[in-house]
Amino acid sequence: MSERILKELADSFVKLLIPGIRVTIPLTVISFTCGIIIALIVALVQVAKIPVVRHLARFYVWIIRGTPMIVQLFVVYFGLPSIGIRLAAFPSAVIVFSLSVGAYCSETIRAAIESVPKGQLEACYCVGMTFPQAMMRIVIPQAMRAAFPPLSNSLIGLVKDTSLAYSVAVVEILATAQRIAARTYDYFWLYCEAGLIYLIFSTVLTWAQRAVERRMERSR
Amino acid sequence: MIQVHNVRKRFGDNEVLKDVSFRVDDGDVIAILGPSGSGKTTLLRCLSFLEKADAGKVDFDDKTYDLGSASKKEILQYRRKIGFVFQDYQLFGNKTALGNVTEGLIVARKMKRDEAEKLGREALDKVGMLDRADYYPSKLSGGQQQRVAIARAMVSDPGVIFFDEPTSALDPELTGEVLDVMKKLAENRTTMVVVTHEMEFARRVADRVIFMEGGLIVEEDGAEQFFTAPKTQRAAEFLRGIEAGF
Repeated sequence: MSERILKELADSFVKLLIPGIRVTIPLTVISFTCGIIIALIVALVQVAKIPVVRHLARFYVWIIRGTPMIVQLFVVYFGLPSIGIRLAAFPSAVIVFSLSVGAYCSETIRAAIESVPKGQLEACYCVGMTFPQAMMRIVIPQAMRAAFPPLSNSLIGLVKDTSLAYSVAVVEILATAQRIAARTYDYFWLYCEAGLIYLIFSTVLTWAQRAVERRMERSR
Repeated sequence: MIQVHNVRKRFGDNEVLKDVSFRVDDGDVIAILGPSGSGKTTLLRCLSFLEKADAGKVDFDDKTYDLGSASKKEILQYRRKIGFVFQDYQLFGNKTALGNVTEGLIVARKMKRDEAEKLGREALDKVGMLDRADYYPSKLSGGQQQRVAIARAMVSDPGVIFFDEPTSALDPELTGEVLDVMKKLAENRTTMVVVTHEMEFARRVADRVIFMEGGLIVEEDGAEQFFTAPKTQRAAEFLRGIEAGF
């Protein structure tokens, strides 16, 4: 590795980190937050066996899980304008990523809720609680504990999946690396560096996951 | 007083309860005995609306509840008048011992936290668990968990507490501490209906015994009468079988 490349990589590190902090992280945080809210609702309507709505929920999960995310991105960003709905790149990506997290995590959360013994719900009933009270106070908190490791996985997966937003012109880490390399022709090093930034983000999240898990272990 | 009328329940082709009626007077301790599969647990579960009965009514506090068709509101009102102790304790895993006892007061009955905690500590004290108030269930032994579960059932001062085989999930050396607590409750004239296999307990603590078999009440007696001179052939055989087992 020549001195020139080293210097260039040092310069570009900051240039890649900036879109990482200004685009990738907000994209991840907003999409994951919306996605978890969707996932909770979708899981709950199925657990509570609400008629009609639960079938809509299954349909939604079926569609999202059964189609590639990049196709969904193309449909929303390039496809919707032809039927008169024009969305900017960033909100398009947020919509697609939220729906994706919502579908996958709803299955995780549903399984976690079903893993809480039925007796816990019955015990809630026997101290006079209603179904929503039992869910909010006793069942979901315990389900979330079980769901935490797979949900952390989904979050780390999402950080990396946000690179797909490159394809709909969101200027995130990968797009920035591509732009710099187009000028310098150091594709190999710049794409590796882009990967390194994702690796740093994922590693920090993995540490955070372990720290939270250790804390949960203590309070039980 | 609680009067139970004509409870029926079937699971598919299996008729688990065939027309069960009985009365519980205030302050009474009733032991429900019988071979496994006789419908004892199902009876308690129907009486708490954990299972929906096919038919049956309960008169409780001048109000009649239909066990097959009560509305959600009626069920909620009814459940706030009872306590239930499960075979496998079912303490809330995400709450401390004190949290378990106060949860129903705070969430279901909208009691103020400090007021609920005062009652909660009193209840834990009665079952000898006050020193473990801040422990999570996973840090308690089975016997300790069941004592907390009893505190949780009694803290709201219910009209009756149902016990579903409260000691059968426990190691033998831990049953004593739970039975002692129940005995103390009985001495304080708590109304209790106890499904149990603990014959000594039934004999010493219960006022009356209901002996069930095949979904029917075969015999109903004063406890002493039942154990010394059962009236029916089936009850006599059941008692002999248990003696032979030891």
